[in-house]
Amino acid sequence: MRKNGEPVWTTEDLLASLEGREKFFVLDVRNRDEFARFRLEGREPLPAVNLPYFEMLELGGKDEMVDSVVACVEEHLAGQLPRELPILSVCAKGDTSEYVAQGLGLLGYTSANLKGGMKAWGNYYSTRAVVESKELAIYQISRPARGCLSYVVASNGKALVIDPLRHLHPYLELAQNKGFEIASVVDTHGHADHISGGPALASAHGASYFLHPYDAIHPMDVLPATIPYDPIRDGQIFKLGGVELEALHIPGHTLGLVALRLDDRYLFTADSIFIGSLARPDLGGRAEPWARLHYRSLRKLLELPGKMIVLPGHFSSLAEQNEAGLFAAPLEELKQRSHGLQVLAQESEEAFIRYLLENLAPFPPEYVDIKRVNAGLLAPTEDDASVLELGKNNCGLSGGTS
Amino acid sequence: MSQPFDKLLDARGMNCPLPLVNARKEVGKLEPGQVLKVIATDRGSVADFQGWAKIAKNVELLGQETESVDGVNVYAHYVKRTA
Repeated sequence: MRKNGEPVWTTEDLLASLEGREKFFVLDVRNRDEFARFRLEGREPLPAVNLPYFEMLELGGKDEMVDSVVACVEEHLAGQLPRELPILSVCAKGDTSEYVAQGLGLLGYTSANLKGGMKAWGNYYSTRAVVESKELAIYQISRPARGCLSYVVASNGKALVIDPLRHLHPYLELAQNKGFEIASVVDTHGHADHISGGPALASAHGASYFLHPYDAIHPMDVLPATIPYDPIRDGQIFKLGGVELEALHIPGHTLGLVALRLDDRYLFTADSIFIGSLARPDLGGRAEPWARLHYRSLRKLLELPGKMIVLPGHFSSLAEQNEAGLFAAPLEELKQRSHGLQVLAQESEEAFIRYLLENLAPFPPEYVDIKRVNAGLLAPTEDDASVLELGKNNCGLSGGTS
Repeated sequence: MSQPFDKLLDARGMNCPLPLVNARKEVGKLEPGQVLKVIATDRGSVADFQGWAKIAKNVELLGQETESVDGVNVYAHYVKRTA
């Protein structure tokens, strides 16, 4: 337990426990389909039991929730819950799980409640510095539950934000604390798995919002975006204080995907090369022709200096973190350890395309709507936006983890 | 398409699990064949009442409705005590 008997874990406590490989057990009392779609994950799978709270009510058979939890656990769950590990009770918003944690506490278990539940965990952001000096600062801002990564690059007081996620507070707080002016916002592509914070962040700061024009057309609807944007072209230079970022058009995951290169030091690969896998080419609905584009783009990236640090757009497991807690690795190292990059480097174009097409997870149906939201073709309520974004991103190949 | 009901439980403003915990108590007080209408603002109650009705004995979920009142969604659940 992080808090010495204090029965509440904040999302921050949870991340520290997951990253620190602390051992604990999860009792998740949400519906079974919610659990199947989005569950707590650590570097390794967490031991867990999913029993919806209304089943606990019926199994326990008492009028009140805590009494039912006590009866249900004694009669039906005792053999499945460890006595030697803390048990974290989890529900959608953290209210019901409080009753469950209380019941477990009464039975003598080491019990804690996840404050705010899976909703708070899904919306939790973590900010870490990749490098921090006046000439160049880079921050990796992640949503750990979703595996989404975004970046703030700053030099001499000017900042460029790459792929800001839906909630703007991490970027606004960072800019305020460090005294940056947000000069530009870049979406590396039209995202399918999450709602971009790009247009809102740019307009809040009077900054320019950049997107490649190919991704300003919804690929399934074939309708133009209604959001205002400044088009990115291949080779475009973003000057920022004392450094420059160069846009590299690398179509594949989307038609308008760009990577950003910061001289020979950093490569923001967006959804192309991840630490544990490669991006999938089928989220625009045209897997085979886009896989061919993906092949050519990835070959181009392999030619870049091996010492460049790859900073990707996603991760799929906390196991991809380095010792500093960052999702970052030298390109050279990824060439050695990424199965996908080895297939890319060693096999023919046809073999690589086969490899891509054979490792596609089922297409998440909500991704079509998320692309609509990002193009300004659909305006969800806050509740709808949360539902669209539920769970971990699915932008990587399924069999591609290293 | 409102349904007839015998008793109304107002669980608006209550967080999970109270809409369901209270509904369960009220259903226990009904005569077999009678219907309880529950109104709640907790969005999660929609899936929860469905899941609960599937496993609870002597309970049938007759229907659910969503109504927007002053921009707030109100979810209605019609629960029948069957025996």
